[in-house]
Order: sequence, then structure tokens, then C-alpha cells
Amino acid sequence: MKEIIAIIRPKMMIKTKEVLDSLGFPAMTAQRVMGRGKQKAIIQEVSFDIEKTELLEEEGSMRYIPKRMITLVVPDEDFNLVVETIMKINCTGKIGDGKIFVCPLDEAIRVRTEERGQKALV
Amino acid sequence: MKMIRAIIRPDMTEQVVDSLADEGFVALTKMNVIGRGKQKGIHLDNIYYDEIPKTMLMLVADEDQTEKIVSIINEKAYTGNFGDGKVFISPVDESYTVRTRSKGL
Repeated sequence: MKEIIAIIRPKMMIKTKEVLDSLGFPAMTAQRVMGRGKQKAIIQEVSFDIEKTELLEEEGSMRYIPKRMITLVVPDEDFNLVVETIMKINCTGKIGDGKIFVCPLDEAIRVRTEERGQKALV
Repeated sequence: MKMIRAIIRPDMTEQVVDSLADEGFVALTKMNVIGRGKQKGIHLDNIYYDEIPKTMLMLVADEDQTEKIVSIINEKAYTGNFGDGKVFISPVDESYTVRTRSKGL
């Protein structure tokens, strides 16, 4: 099993959920987080208009950018598909599209039935 | 690659983040969490706080840089009292950048 942690733009959430749903991965955990990347949070990542144009180019003009973090657990053979899908939907070409991390995961347990492993995922 | 998750005092966050940025570790994610440690929260006379607000910093770095990051966090988040926090390190198999669709940090 693999745990996929993706940090994406909040406004791409609905579309991402719809497409993952149609591929058969409806289960996920989402969280509102703040973050920044290599560029140290540049202000053009936010969606509203900014009057001071000199701020747009400056690095570090904003401390953090609001992001959405989604966590999915998928079987080993499916993680490539999910990663490719998330990348395809969220790619706008501008800085701040996000990052995806794939981590190994030992065990999954469904609380209601105490099923373990792959069975707990489907 | 390793993922470093540090749970620290909320008021120490900016200090830690700035020191990490000075050393070149700019990219990170922070989130507000609540939790408790071995002391089961805080007992103050008759008042019992079960869940204490904390900040979790999450960053992914190459394996040889983890020790440096951990030592920066340890140094800057330290007060010597209970509740300074914990640092967890876990493996990451792969990482992707969405904009360039490339593998790697």
C-alpha cells in the first residue's frame, strides 16, 4: 500500500475530487494547510487583484499561501495512475501548482469490521 | 528522501521557520493541530486541559540533510519545559512537482 500526500490549490479541489471519484478512488482525507515552496511564497499565487504591482514580482512578499492537502491510501499497483491524474488536473503551468509525495504504508485497518490490508481499502 | 514532521509550540513556529529559511530549507507546510503527550495534557490545580494546541511543520528533504534540519528544529523550538514537541522522520518513496510534471524535489 502507498500513501499519497498531495498539496494542491484550494480551488482545484472540486475538480480533483470529481475525477478521482470517477476513476474509483472516492476515499480521501482533506485538510486546510498553509505552506510555501522554493520561491518563498510569491503573492501572485492568490486569486484576488493586488494594486501594488511591485509586490507581485518580489520573493517572500507573503509568508504563507493557503493550500489544500489531500491524503489517499491506494494499492501498490494503482499509485502511478492516481499521481498522473492529480498532476494532469492540477497543472496550470504557474508557480504554486503543488507537490505530491508517495510514502510507503504498512497496514490499513477498517474500524467497523476490523478488516486489514487491501480489504480495508475497497 | 525523508519526510520530517515536527510538532512544536505555536509561538515558536516563526522562529523555527525563519531559521530553516536561513539555512536554505524554504519550502514547508504548516498546519494547526491539537494533541497531547506523555503528561496527558496539562493539569493546573483543578483544571484539566486534555488537548493542547500545537503547530505541525511538514517538510521533505534528501536523506543527508535530515540531521541538519532536525538539529535546527531542536535548537530553535527548545525551552526546556514539557510540551516542546516531537519530531518524526518517515520514508518517502517518490515526490513530484505538479507544474513541471517532473519527479524529484
